Amino acid sequence: MSAAVSPTLSAVLRAERHQLNERFAMARVRHPDLDAEAFAGFIRGAVDPLVGAVARTRFERVTDVTLAAYDIALELIGQKLAGRSARTPHVGGAWRRVLPEVAPLVAAAPERMITAVCNASHHLSSTTGARPGAWIDLMARLGGQCTDSSMFLTLGQVAAWRAGMAHFRESALTAADTLPEPLMLAAIEAPKARWSEVRDRLRSDPWYDPAAPNETSATPRVAARVGAFRGFGGLFTEPPTAAIADGQVIVGAGGEWWLLTADVFGATFHRATREEFDRGRGGSVLPEGIVLHGATATVRGRNVSLPEAFDEVTSACASRTTLALTSARTHAILLVALPVA
Amino acid sequence: MGLRDVFQRVSQSPTNPHAAAAPRTFDVADLYRGPVSPADEQTKAPATPLDEKLRQAYFWIVNTAILSPHYDVEFNQGPPQSFVLGDVKSRLTLPSAQSYSSYVLLPLLTFATRRKCLFVGGPGRGKTASAILMGVLSGASVRDVRRAMQHGHPQMTVADLLGNPLPADLVSAQRIEDIRISWRSWLGMRVKIIDEYNRIPTRTQSALLTVMGDNYAEILNHIYECPDSAWFLTANDEQGGGTYQVIEALRDRIDVIVQALAFNPRFLSELLVRIEQSVRPEEVVPRQIIFTDAEVDRLQGEIHGVPLPPEVRRRLEFFASQFEFFEGAAEQFEYKTKDTARLAGVEWAGLTAQDTGRDRLKDLGCQTRNGLSVRVLMTLLVYAKALAYFRGNRIVELDDARQILPFVLRDKLVPDSDAPFFDAPGNAKYRVDRIGWLRQLFDVSCAEYDRLNLDAEDPVAALASEFRQGLDGVTRSDARARLVKIERLIADWSKGRKLYGNLYDDLLSLKYMHQRYTNYLRWLETQ
Repeated sequence: MSAAVSPTLSAVLRAERHQLNERFAMARVRHPDLDAEAFAGFIRGAVDPLVGAVARTRFERVTDVTLAAYDIALELIGQKLAGRSARTPHVGGAWRRVLPEVAPLVAAAPERMITAVCNASHHLSSTTGARPGAWIDLMARLGGQCTDSSMFLTLGQVAAWRAGMAHFRESALTAADTLPEPLMLAAIEAPKARWSEVRDRLRSDPWYDPAAPNETSATPRVAARVGAFRGFGGLFTEPPTAAIADGQVIVGAGGEWWLLTADVFGATFHRATREEFDRGRGGSVLPEGIVLHGATATVRGRNVSLPEAFDEVTSACASRTTLALTSARTHAILLVALPVA
Repeated sequence: MGLRDVFQRVSQSPTNPHAAAAPRTFDVADLYRGPVSPADEQTKAPATPLDEKLRQAYFWIVNTAILSPHYDVEFNQGPPQSFVLGDVKSRLTLPSAQSYSSYVLLPLLTFATRRKCLFVGGPGRGKTASAILMGVLSGASVRDVRRAMQHGHPQMTVADLLGNPLPADLVSAQRIEDIRISWRSWLGMRVKIIDEYNRIPTRTQSALLTVMGDNYAEILNHIYECPDSAWFLTANDEQGGGTYQVIEALRDRIDVIVQALAFNPRFLSELLVRIEQSVRPEEVVPRQIIFTDAEVDRLQGEIHGVPLPPEVRRRLEFFASQFEFFEGAAEQFEYKTKDTARLAGVEWAGLTAQDTGRDRLKDLGCQTRNGLSVRVLMTLLVYAKALAYFRGNRIVELDDARQILPFVLRDKLVPDSDAPFFDAPGNAKYRVDRIGWLRQLFDVSCAEYDRLNLDAEDPVAALASEFRQGLDGVTRSDARARLVKIERLIADWSKGRKLYGNLYDDLLSLKYMHQRYTNYLRWLETQ
């Protein structure tokens, strides 16, 4: 392994050979099918560039970074989260693209930083509806502007929301207040604006797009079409129906129930219970001013044309900001942004 | 991440997930929780709820410390998969919900409730190692736990067990109070371990009984008050064999018995790793699953606070009432008990041979030689609560009681192996398999409870409920009406009904209420 890696990493591997071999043996106990070739490949393709980046900024931290990276790499390969047998390309991708960009932060807190990037990318890639690639792009682009690991982690939280983790919206907005204003505005791609104003609009309207601030929120519009047939990578085995419980959209399909969280950045589904769905269905009445007729929804006198598949709606429910519609002709749920008063 | 960290991993929470309650809150901090854990994460994590910590301890022991592939405490959510194998139709069940290994679960519940557990099983099956693990969970070092462990042997004296008077004081003291005692350090441990307790001489067993039963030790009029502690005893033979017969009072103090089941050779590779890596599980217990004294105090409180609903309690009452009644033991109603027969020392077979007209095959009471003591019933309730708590349930479910019952009653409910039940086809195995016998006993009792529809039609419960509301404001005519109700019920039952244990206890309850109303009425008449 050492012959194919940089002289810097090679030196650390030689110096720590005994304990690194022991660690590999112990990881084999935990993961009997630990792929040695995949591990070696990951060391060459992911750990080595990171160690190289750290060596260029804080050479004295190379050994600590290597040991932390080695242990985490063992765990990732053992769990098949990275390497040639990985179930998802994003954990390895995040390591390779994000970590070298923030080498000084990794040098200061290697275990914390590497773990955070791996866990976050895994979290995104295992959440239906999230876009881990977008998170990696954003973190690779802006991570270098962070002055310490705490700022980096907060940026990662905002970026996760921005990458489709709609359920993190509220707590990400709260965390965002601790970031420098330019960094925060860059994270949500808002043009020149004051963060406090953008934040207030984001809080009041989940469909407000800070990247297109001139788009009016006074007009009802089709905002998103979320969910899909299980055979096409979605969650539903049959066309779903929706209900609203405690202000949240609950979706039922094929004897399974899901909580839908959605905003302008994306939508995610979370396991719910039949009780929640039944409770929601019992109380789901469309608010006054919303009428459905054919493939048109009329919201407070304004018509919204619906896609053809929604000309026969099987369920409709609305929160303060969102109208959710389902149809027997599609496995998707149509979300209509309602005007915010 | 050190070499031994692989052995120090604790299962990720939640270890027994329950359906999420709505509405939810999502915390963006969860983004960084995932498959990779920094070494210091769990020590910095906010305090884990104690039931979760207990489960993490369980899973660490099951997955890492004790190679125990036996899941004999089965729970189901929906019907389990079941297979019949072999010529004698052995049934293998694959539970559909999280199930547990009694060999780890029972000691942990004992640790959490600070009660007494006996490990039984052949030599070399890990009984002592398991007991040591429990000691380490209490925060003591492995060295202290080992040193404090008492090893039973035929020469063990009371002084070996409890301590010695200081020799200098024995010579110079003028009064017995002036003799200082050097108490043995194990008396102060929160987890006490007695290895091979059935090798302790009888006299020393009596001294041990005082410590186990009353939580103090006495030498030369000096008293050592022991802290509340969990006890773990080991024996190769639960029947009291060994060098010395175990005195009955000592056996009676033991709350649960768990058997070290056979090692599955399929797990030999795990043993090999331990040899090759020189790893002793008790030396690598993760810090996150070690309990402070205050935490165990809190555990006890939280366990005792788990409610046991009336529906479950009633079934336990019905079950317990099956066994003490012995119609032929006495003339007076109250003394018709197996304890009366036992105290008389009359030959058991002669007494049971008397025909009472009852179906001896169906009467559960005929299967045992004794009934259940108050101590046993209290133990049963505590462990049922502990199991419910361990499973993360808010209340005790019938399954909790059903699963825990055999381990509590294993040594307490003595089967009458001459009873017709054990001669019935397919039942001979129950002469050997106490756990299976007790579990089927409870199942049959519950089925009878259902057949009698006691949840809906229980006149004694209705009368007792009325009685529990108190006598304040009960008028003379009310009291008379209630007396008549009781008398009518008894008269109704006396018409041709056979007398079984549950009926016997109900009749005694009715007599009790009748007496209280009679006294009350008499008092009213003097006002």
